[in-house]
Amino acid sequence: MASTAALGARIRRDGFLYVLLAPALAYFILFHILPMAGMRIAFEDFRLFGKSAFVGLKHFRTLFSSPGFATVIANTLILSTMKIVLFFPLPIVFALMVNEVRSSVLRKFVQSVAYLPHFLSWVVIAGVWIAFLSPTAGGANELRRFLGLPVLDYMTSKEHIRWVLFASETWRSIGWDSIIYLAALIRISPSLYESADMDGANALQKMRFITLPELVPTMVTVFILNLGFFMNAGFDQVFNMMNDSVISRVDILDTFVYRVGLVNMQYSLSTAASLFKGVIGLVLILSTHGMAKRVTGKGLW
Amino acid sequence: MGTRIRSPLGDRLLRLAIVLVLLGISAAVLVPLLNIVALSLSDTKRVSELRGLDVLPKGFSLIVYKILAANPYFIRSILNSVFITLTGTTVNLIVTAMAAYALTRPSLPGRRFFMLLVIVVMVFEPGIVPEYLVVKKIGLMGSLWSVIFYKAVNVYYLIILMRFFEEVPPSLVEAARVDGAGHWTVFRRVMLPLSKSAMATLGLFYGVMHWNEYFRASVYITDPLKYPLQLILRQFVVLDDTSALIGAGTIYSYDEAARLSYAALKAGTIVVAILPVLMLYPLILRYYTRGVMEGGVKE
Repeated sequence: MASTAALGARIRRDGFLYVLLAPALAYFILFHILPMAGMRIAFEDFRLFGKSAFVGLKHFRTLFSSPGFATVIANTLILSTMKIVLFFPLPIVFALMVNEVRSSVLRKFVQSVAYLPHFLSWVVIAGVWIAFLSPTAGGANELRRFLGLPVLDYMTSKEHIRWVLFASETWRSIGWDSIIYLAALIRISPSLYESADMDGANALQKMRFITLPELVPTMVTVFILNLGFFMNAGFDQVFNMMNDSVISRVDILDTFVYRVGLVNMQYSLSTAASLFKGVIGLVLILSTHGMAKRVTGKGLW
Repeated sequence: MGTRIRSPLGDRLLRLAIVLVLLGISAAVLVPLLNIVALSLSDTKRVSELRGLDVLPKGFSLIVYKILAANPYFIRSILNSVFITLTGTTVNLIVTAMAAYALTRPSLPGRRFFMLLVIVVMVFEPGIVPEYLVVKKIGLMGSLWSVIFYKAVNVYYLIILMRFFEEVPPSLVEAARVDGAGHWTVFRRVMLPLSKSAMATLGLFYGVMHWNEYFRASVYITDPLKYPLQLILRQFVVLDDTSALIGAGTIYSYDEAARLSYAALKAGTIVVAILPVLMLYPLILRYYTRGVMEGGVKE
């Protein structure tokens, strides 16, 4: 009896918390949990009306036996490697450079400019880059002309399109992704530099032996956490920058899921690909998060 | 900094090289953007003189913007984007803040279960088709609310706000509770006033997210009069499909339209899409990167 009374008191006291939580809960259920449950159509022949028939792994077999899917996986892995591994040192170098600038006005200017593209949509960035890379009047080809090189249509070039994606990703993120390193740089004790000055160290030596080692924990965390998103490869970017001439080089899992599902309306096949991607992504995120937690002692949860 | 002895020559050369590289990076960011602005403002007769690296318009004309302003699809798309952004951000802030408050109360019964739910949402994406089928089922298809509700809460932002609420000294909350204040009063009178800057930061990020939204709109909305600006931009600039923008034929009502280049019109659309972000940008820098920037300047 006493416990019932206590429960009653507790609900009176804290029951309102459920009211506060309710909208978020409703959102999670409607837009995340229900769709997750809806992924069962990957094992069915989906029909809009009437009952869908259970077909087991049929759609997964279709998926893995289609040559297009192998290309999609390869593109996803290649683009992710470029954007996670190859891109990785660039924001660090950028942060180190910004850190060396003595004039606060110049530093503020460089930072303000470099962070800006992060806030532009990939639609805008694609528009700007398509114009900049245009073979007729684009800035890139102006530079090429200046250097005496022939005009190049980057957006439709199979050899160049992945580098276009890499370059535009760098353009968008080098500044923004450097913030976490700049924040870590501020925490480095000035006394380290003072004693290095006393020993007559030059700027490069200080960077090599003080700054860089102090950044290692941040680098490890960033790298590990980025690995968790390896299967993503940047849908919005690819979706807005690809065209028919280069699709074989940049078609990734997410663009495949979109095309098969919402353009060709093969709901079950598309969901099978989503499930495949989701499960691998889940394993990656959980294991990389565990690693990051072990290395740094703190994680997102 | 004043006490530092004059640096050796090698250091000064290194710094000079670094400054040059950083200015080069800044130019690489700014030139393509300024070129688009210049293209949109150039005189129609001289627009073909504008080269890809020019940052100033050739002549000056607002004809591009006049034509865009006379286009009902374009104007409606701006209104749609403003509606989605304002309503969406309001919904985001209210729902996220209420949930963050509830989830940070140790007395919330079933707290561990709800946190598990948040983590599940964070680590597993169901993909677009199952989401599409749910949106269809609950009757949001074709409505701007689909674009607003599909991201009513960003779990990462929720966790950031929870971290922030956790920093509020429990004694403040306890004091109010002992005085007989209910959770709503504590939330409104204690938590929210203490987290104004965190809420402002989240609001800016949510706002930019909604303003930049195009993909869900392209999936859920079929009526071109309900398109947000970014979707018009995608159709016109990225896909080179003019029907979304000039379907009504208004463009031909201008004499100058015959001479007008599509490139300039595209540039104008891009500029309008960037403008609100640029206007909010100083606030974003102030709120979000304040710590980093000021810390970096202090020496």
